[in-house]
Amino acid sequence: MTKKSATKAAEKNKKLLVGIDLGTSRSAISADNGNKKWVESYVGWPRDFIARKVVGKPVLFGEEAVAHRLSLDIYRPLKNGVIKEGTARDEEAVKELIRHLLTLVRPDSDDAKVRAVVGVPAESFKVNKVALKKAVAEFAESLLVVSEPFAVAYGVEALDNAMVIDIGAGTVDFCIMHGTVPTEDDQRTVLTAGDYIDQQLENFLRERYPEADFTINMVRRFKEEYSFVGEPPSEVKVEIPVEGKSTQHDITDEMRRACESILPAIVETTLELIAKFDPEYQDTIRENIILAGGGSQIRGLADYLEQAIGEYGPTTIKTVEDPLFSGADGALALAREMPEEYWTDL
Amino acid sequence: MANAETRKLKSAILQGVYEENLKIAERAPSPSRRRFRRYCRRARIPVFLLLLAAVALVLPRFPPFPEQRPGAEPAAVAAQDPLLPWSSILANYTTPLALPPAERMIRGPAPLPAVPFDAGRLLDYDLLLNSRSVRLSSVFGLGIKTIVIDPGHGGKDPGAIGSRGTREKDIVLAIGLRLRDLLLQNGRYRVLMTRDDDSFLSLADRVRFANRQQADLFISLHINALPQKESNVTETFYFGPPSDLYTLRLAEQENRGSEIKTGDFRNMIKKIGDMLKEQESATLATTIQHSLFSNMKKYDKNISDAGIKIAPFVVLLGVDAPSVLVEISCITKEEEELSLSTPGYRDRIALFLEEGITRYLSQRHFQVVKGEKNDKKIGNKSG
Repeated sequence: MTKKSATKAAEKNKKLLVGIDLGTSRSAISADNGNKKWVESYVGWPRDFIARKVVGKPVLFGEEAVAHRLSLDIYRPLKNGVIKEGTARDEEAVKELIRHLLTLVRPDSDDAKVRAVVGVPAESFKVNKVALKKAVAEFAESLLVVSEPFAVAYGVEALDNAMVIDIGAGTVDFCIMHGTVPTEDDQRTVLTAGDYIDQQLENFLRERYPEADFTINMVRRFKEEYSFVGEPPSEVKVEIPVEGKSTQHDITDEMRRACESILPAIVETTLELIAKFDPEYQDTIRENIILAGGGSQIRGLADYLEQAIGEYGPTTIKTVEDPLFSGADGALALAREMPEEYWTDL
Repeated sequence: MANAETRKLKSAILQGVYEENLKIAERAPSPSRRRFRRYCRRARIPVFLLLLAAVALVLPRFPPFPEQRPGAEPAAVAAQDPLLPWSSILANYTTPLALPPAERMIRGPAPLPAVPFDAGRLLDYDLLLNSRSVRLSSVFGLGIKTIVIDPGHGGKDPGAIGSRGTREKDIVLAIGLRLRDLLLQNGRYRVLMTRDDDSFLSLADRVRFANRQQADLFISLHINALPQKESNVTETFYFGPPSDLYTLRLAEQENRGSEIKTGDFRNMIKKIGDMLKEQESATLATTIQHSLFSNMKKYDKNISDAGIKIAPFVVLLGVDAPSVLVEISCITKEEEELSLSTPGYRDRIALFLEEGITRYLSQRHFQVVKGEKNDKKIGNKSG
């Protein structure tokens, strides 16, 4: 074979490995070419011809979609952790989201075939596996679907006697690792997650400040900036308009109550899952708990859980360094280490 | 952790990921493979009967119970071993079980008189059905294709009504529609609704619909109403004689206006002996109830688990397929009524139901049937 034809063959066989974290609230992608991107998991199509003219694009994603929501049919396809409603449009939204994520990490000139490992909420992994495979088939040569907490565990090499608690927007996913792929029995999903905090906070604020004018998106921003459990690091004061005038409101108590509303289910499920595990290793697991997902950023959360679960024995809880990309990085690690023979054509 | 050990672990995990994904690929066959599988499914029972006939002709030539432990009852052996091999069921089938085990042991391996082949007897499943510990659906390799969801009441019949005016018929319809969408996402099942709008259907109509559509599973959705306004209860029923007075009254309540004639009723009663339906209904009820209660208690820590109950609901009796009736929660508790009126909560309930159904559907292979009777009395359903 000449040098030129060998180079051509190598070009033809070039693969782009990607790890995708398809989340309820945010989706992230990590590629082996070093690119990493994330987008809010919103997909919107212009409602009509005029809207199409105004937004100037056939489909919008993330913050841009939220900004133009009045002109769009907007979808958050993995709401509650599963492909929502099961309509063709929601499956289409998942497909568009994956297409968009791939375009973010792949240069225009790159025609390498894509091999993807996609991490999805555990609930979705259970019910939407086939739909997800179909959604990715168009863009990837080969695909493997895994549950999100498992991808995180693999990424941080918590492979044996460890537990990952992935606190997302729609679900909190629990996964015990014991040296093998976790089964359904090793995983739990609780639906009181980030979105539930938003709803609670919105209710508490409407109750206390009935005159204040705010939206759920504003509430979500407050949460992302100031969320905490236990003792407040400082008073939480935010600007909310009242009759058109920006007014400062103290929301410290409401923020704490809303954030703490998800704790009982997390503690209970953690204890239940550990108690089901081999008693010889329960202590080891309790000392190797990893918090992931956006919810892991709630201030005071790791300490609170360490204390609550610590009543049952010594407990160590760590938080992943980069909650936004820990799932995608873990999925990419899986993709990199997957033997060649395990990649099958879609 | 040593590097070599980590590598070994990772290798096992990666293989596991591959195998799990391979299963997903197998679950979504191409259209031509799907047609072929459908054809195979249809042919499965006739082929099974032919095989059974062939084996029944051959088996009497061999000594029965070759590995029988001294003094052990054949039925007890079957009950202890969840992985009961099909051949031992056939051994039971071709051996006169009335013979006392001790006597059989004295005889040792001496061959019993061969049972003459009787084609008519092949259709008598009594002995087979006596192996209560075996999932007959697994034995017969029966699959699930059509799931019928039955939102209770509708039209002129509002069902139970909460103090704020929330009507049972609206809640169960919303949950049913959501549940249908969730199950459809799986892509493997045909999911039908007895009603997908606010229309009235008699119980007989619902039964006829499910049987005409050849339902493989039937799930009837209801919301309970109790005189104790502070109580919230979740419970799941499958067909059988009532276990207590409360259950009997609840059945009377849900059976009102069934429009089923006594003659038809007699024919339907024959179906009570259908072990397969009973086993599957009990297992389905167990998985649904477990999922529903374990998830709902996160929203209402005071909710009671009334468990799996057996009750003579007409709608459960008439449907040929394994069927359950779920009383999701109690509309008479004010907080619960408020929650039920929010779409988010109804969506969650649909997810819990779907989780229970999915768990049931994923249970294959032989296993001990886990239907449980719970006679815990909570109260009487109010008018």
